Amino acid sequence: MKELQDLALYLEQGQAQKVIALTEQLLAASISPQRILNDGLIAGMAAVGEKMRNGDMYLPEVLQSAGAMQASLKILKPHLAREGAQSRGRVLMGTVKGDMHDIGKNLVGIMLQGAGFEIVDLGVNIPPEKFVEAIKTHQPSIVALSAMLTTTMLNMKSTIDSVRLAGLSSYVKIIIGGAPVNQGYADQIGADGYARDAVLAVDKVKQLLGISA
Amino acid sequence: MNTRYEQALNCQQPDRVPFLPAIYEHKAWFVGKTPSDVCRDPKLLTAALLAEYERVKPDALTIGVDIYNVEAEAVGCKVTYYDEGNNSVPSIGHEGAILQGSDDVTSLRLPDPRMDGRMPLFIEAAKAMVKILGKEIPLRGAVSGPFSLAAHLAGPQKLFLLTMMQPGIVKELLGFAAEVIKLYGNAFIEAGCGVVMFDSFASSDLLPPEMYRELVLPPTRGIVDHFHQKGARNIPLIIGGNTTSLLEAYLGTGANNILCDVKADPQEFLKRCSAMKKAFRRNLDSALFLESSPADIKNRAMRSLEESNSYPGYILGTGVLAYGTPLTHIAAVREAIDEYERAPAAGQ
Repeated sequence: MKELQDLALYLEQGQAQKVIALTEQLLAASISPQRILNDGLIAGMAAVGEKMRNGDMYLPEVLQSAGAMQASLKILKPHLAREGAQSRGRVLMGTVKGDMHDIGKNLVGIMLQGAGFEIVDLGVNIPPEKFVEAIKTHQPSIVALSAMLTTTMLNMKSTIDSVRLAGLSSYVKIIIGGAPVNQGYADQIGADGYARDAVLAVDKVKQLLGISA
Repeated sequence: MNTRYEQALNCQQPDRVPFLPAIYEHKAWFVGKTPSDVCRDPKLLTAALLAEYERVKPDALTIGVDIYNVEAEAVGCKVTYYDEGNNSVPSIGHEGAILQGSDDVTSLRLPDPRMDGRMPLFIEAAKAMVKILGKEIPLRGAVSGPFSLAAHLAGPQKLFLLTMMQPGIVKELLGFAAEVIKLYGNAFIEAGCGVVMFDSFASSDLLPPEMYRELVLPPTRGIVDHFHQKGARNIPLIIGGNTTSLLEAYLGTGANNILCDVKADPQEFLKRCSAMKKAFRRNLDSALFLESSPADIKNRAMRSLEESNSYPGYILGTGVLAYGTPLTHIAAVREAIDEYERAPAAGQ
């Protein structure tokens, strides 16, 4: 459907006003909100992810597309709820204790949301016990930990240890990311996965949840 | 006087490759204190710098702990510090950014390095260090680069969005940031130090290189020129991440020591820097220092040194070392440097 392709393209271009207008137009034409989400927003953000992966798109453009996506989602959400639409999974995320950096975490949240996942973002400087409490409350499938400093990356291990001690590690998969960490560190601290960037984080979450596309 | 670093910056081959580990919050560990303690007390900061010098023996020292916070705090941002032995690094969250709820750059006031925020504290430590070690080793006061300072003033996410939606405001903010940096850098130069500028928020991992050229390069070049006029011979500019695609603009800033971070291509840096006779510091991955043995670190350092092709402007460094990184791990790099035998440079 051409209008849905246009929606994906406007989203990729970060044209918020056009995305809002087209979302409303599609709903008025009785197009299913789930279809608008899948074939418009998720398709558009997939294109954004592909461009990021190839180095053809940078953070400012991605944030602009994310703004357009949020605006459209705000309109769609009540319709999706009425339709009983299901997300692809719930991801709980946060920057670990002692670390106030949030831009990398936010970018991962944007790309996961754009891929159809529900995000519970705890914010920054989150101690292990708060992650444990939030896992009990929100029951996510994935927990994503971020750290941008070599000093605070050590708190990823204490968070993973706390989740394990609370007996929750068989219910959730934990992935890590951030400038100072790598796959070796993820293996060392017992994380289930590592992603170098936001696009690969989406791939990793899908892989861990057995989602093929 | 240890002239190794200066020689490398002039592309004159020193007796061995200079070693510049990135020690900021880790300084505090040398005196058994936390980064929040050391960055708020000039005497502790001086003691930590002296301990770093004695135990690590780097070829230059950097006067800075939480390097991106000082100018932003002096302008009015709120820094979160940690107490009760918490060794986290002080930082400015998005709610601490002075322009989080406003775009009015004209509302910002230029700070006075003699009295605003912690600027006087760092200048006091710089003066003390010049007295004690000024004749032994190069000392550099850490200043923010303009984009990183702007990111702290506005909040990073907001600044990145503004680059697309209101580039005029970004230019205005970068102009203000440049004036703040000049004032703070002047104070270091007057204290008898050099300066080293950090601008990793402008990394090409985040900001498109063309945006760097258009928005960030002009004020950065202005700052470098200004410091040269003030008598600073060497201006290192540190931008982390993969800056290979930014190399032309990076060299165009006029800085004579740039960073080839872990993800960047050392061969491209070698080619471009040697053509322009500019020094570059190649970083070893900071995660290596947490997860590997000293023997592995030494091997990795040796591999990096072998990549240098005996370029006289080559400096070996590290990513930011975590608080508590064992000394044996840092010493492993020095061992590699001491054992590495360079081919004589052409003409020497």
